[in-house]
Amino acid sequence: MKILVAMSGGVDSSVTAGLLKNSGHEVIGVTMKLWEGENGEMPTTGCCTALDSEDARKVASKLDIPYYVLDYTASFSTSVVENFVQMYSEGLTPNPCVECNRKVKFDHFIDQSKKLGCEKVATGHYAKIVIGEYGHELHRSDYLPKDQSYVLHMLSSEKLEKVLFPLGTLSKPEVRKIAAELGLDTAFKKDSQDICFVGENDYRSFVDKRVDLGSPGKIINTKGHTLGVHGGIHKFTVGQRRGLPGGQGDPLFVLEIDPLTGNVIVGNKQDLLRDVFYLDEVSFVNGFTSDDLLVQIRYNAKPLPCEVDEVERGVYKVLLSEPTTGISPGQFGVLYSGSRLVGGGRIVKNKVSEVSIV
Amino acid sequence: MKFLYLDHAATSPLRESVWDAMRIAEDLGYGNPAGSHTLSRNAKNIIEESREVIAKSVGAIPSEIIFTSGGTESDNWCLKVPFYNKYPTRQDLVTSSIEHEAVLNSAEWVEGNGFSVEYVRPSNNGKVQVNEFCKKIQDSTSVASLMWGNNETGVIQPIHEIGKKLNSNNDLIFHSDVVQGYVSKKIDFYKANVKSGAISAHKVGGPKGIGAMFLHSEYKLSSFFHGGKQELDRRAGTVNVMGVAGFAAAVREQQHRFDDEVDAMLNERNRLEEILSQEEGIVIIGKDEERLPHISNIQFNGNNSENLLVYLDLEGVGVSRGSACASGAQKPSHVLISMGIDKVSAESHLRISFGWSTKKGDGEKGAKKILEAVKETR
Repeated sequence: MKILVAMSGGVDSSVTAGLLKNSGHEVIGVTMKLWEGENGEMPTTGCCTALDSEDARKVASKLDIPYYVLDYTASFSTSVVENFVQMYSEGLTPNPCVECNRKVKFDHFIDQSKKLGCEKVATGHYAKIVIGEYGHELHRSDYLPKDQSYVLHMLSSEKLEKVLFPLGTLSKPEVRKIAAELGLDTAFKKDSQDICFVGENDYRSFVDKRVDLGSPGKIINTKGHTLGVHGGIHKFTVGQRRGLPGGQGDPLFVLEIDPLTGNVIVGNKQDLLRDVFYLDEVSFVNGFTSDDLLVQIRYNAKPLPCEVDEVERGVYKVLLSEPTTGISPGQFGVLYSGSRLVGGGRIVKNKVSEVSIV
Repeated sequence: MKFLYLDHAATSPLRESVWDAMRIAEDLGYGNPAGSHTLSRNAKNIIEESREVIAKSVGAIPSEIIFTSGGTESDNWCLKVPFYNKYPTRQDLVTSSIEHEAVLNSAEWVEGNGFSVEYVRPSNNGKVQVNEFCKKIQDSTSVASLMWGNNETGVIQPIHEIGKKLNSNNDLIFHSDVVQGYVSKKIDFYKANVKSGAISAHKVGGPKGIGAMFLHSEYKLSSFFHGGKQELDRRAGTVNVMGVAGFAAAVREQQHRFDDEVDAMLNERNRLEEILSQEEGIVIIGKDEERLPHISNIQFNGNNSENLLVYLDLEGVGVSRGSACASGAQKPSHVLISMGIDKVSAESHLRISFGWSTKKGDGEKGAKKILEAVKETR
């Protein structure tokens, strides 16, 4: 089978390409150039740097597969970076990796693979595709510490038919071992952690440079008293402690961010507890198919038992069996039934929730 | 699968005679050419015989040819060195917006050091207009630089007409990057009234990493590299004897077979363009202008160059988008954008180029594969 493999220059995608090549497939390696400097050069910090693509090229050469760097900067810039800045300016907490997977990696990339005559695309994500009762199902990877199904929740069964995740049954140590056995230089390369286009810089200064966030706003407690002022709502995310005034007895946390007034509402940890929230832009892998649901509200958060209910088209109410903190509008709520991913959507606030609660 | 190489404007394969010349040069003349024993003299002789070959090929006298590491170094030297003096008497640089990066980025350096630079844009056909270019040249202009033929579109620039007009302006250096022009046009720097030029070996079947600068005997430029007194104290560093020998061998063969080789390039290019023209949505850039016979730049409406390139490579055909790019993914060509082509269209181009090793039938084979790629990736 002819397969287009996304190669970032990291160990995971290197092993992905290696495993497919060794099982006899015709593998073509591609590095997506997502982000660039002012003169079109590859970035030098974060992930997807010029050095990373050089690592990918070396791996491709070692595996003896064709390799290309392709330009994805236009779709990445509009779908991910602008969205990232926009969401912060609206007081939301974006998840650029989800946006990137949704709009860049698994749309543009699959489309390109078809044009190049490939039957499938493959990436080094830790997740499993299982052909089961519901068709092509997306499952958590067997190795839970690295499970990345959360950021892939938007992939429909139809999309999954075109995708391979060869690492879904492997652990990270196993992947590193395979890389070493294949003689790949990336075997002991450090995992990337940063938001790729922000790099080592603080995301706040990244946003600062790109959008005028107007005048500073107020920090207000739940009783409506002003406790201080702040330099811009993009510096806050729900559940955050940093940057809030002290000396109020209990430590303070951000409860809500109001982009209209510029107010940041704060309270104590107890005030963060919620048992209801709403998801919009909800999509399902194979349709809505389960009642023993768990919801995960952040990458790496513990899944929580819940019930969901459609309140209007594409908008779902999530009722948790126990309240929790850290529900951040802009992040994604992803639904699972056991290890099977059911679907997910974006956590919304105010406009939908207020209307719907009434 | 035999690879169909249609990217000669990027670089060309080594001619058989070049391999031989390089081996002989290292066998007989591995001594340092700046030394004084027999093996050094052998090396020195090889260099000087080679210099005569290169000089003759561009209508120059041998002492006007200085060996460099290639076109890029030659361009850097001619464009930047006149401005090295902090307060040069002449403070301006005039060039075009369609130059190779070696010239453009050197010009940017000059600009960044506080001097004035004019980038003359071409008309929509890709040719810089004589009057547009000349009217930017003032008494204060130090260097005027215009390429002989464009490396992406092949469009030949009006060097002779401009050279004629500049004849009276004696202190001005009229520089021309002839790296592509040299592949398929007879170059005579004197006839063109060009005072300095950049030449490269690897585009004509010679080795990479060697080239030459032509500098008219009436002009002097300070050294760009400092060190020993090689090349008549103009370029420091032990001369690349093997490279120089290979360069001369390539040029000797090229000059000997010039008409036949250029005819073959032209025939294959015409055949390719003829086949592709029958398809809808295909535009040949600069078709109505005089072009270098070895280059064709084609716009494929509704296609994306990257997909075409990858598809063709997987099918064993090597073409490119424009100039070679070190980092892999490319931006739309500055040449096409300067010609007024929009960004989306500029991302649907391929440069197909022929060279000394082009065989009869390559144009037709290439055209058929390209049509297949156009259909599959549209």
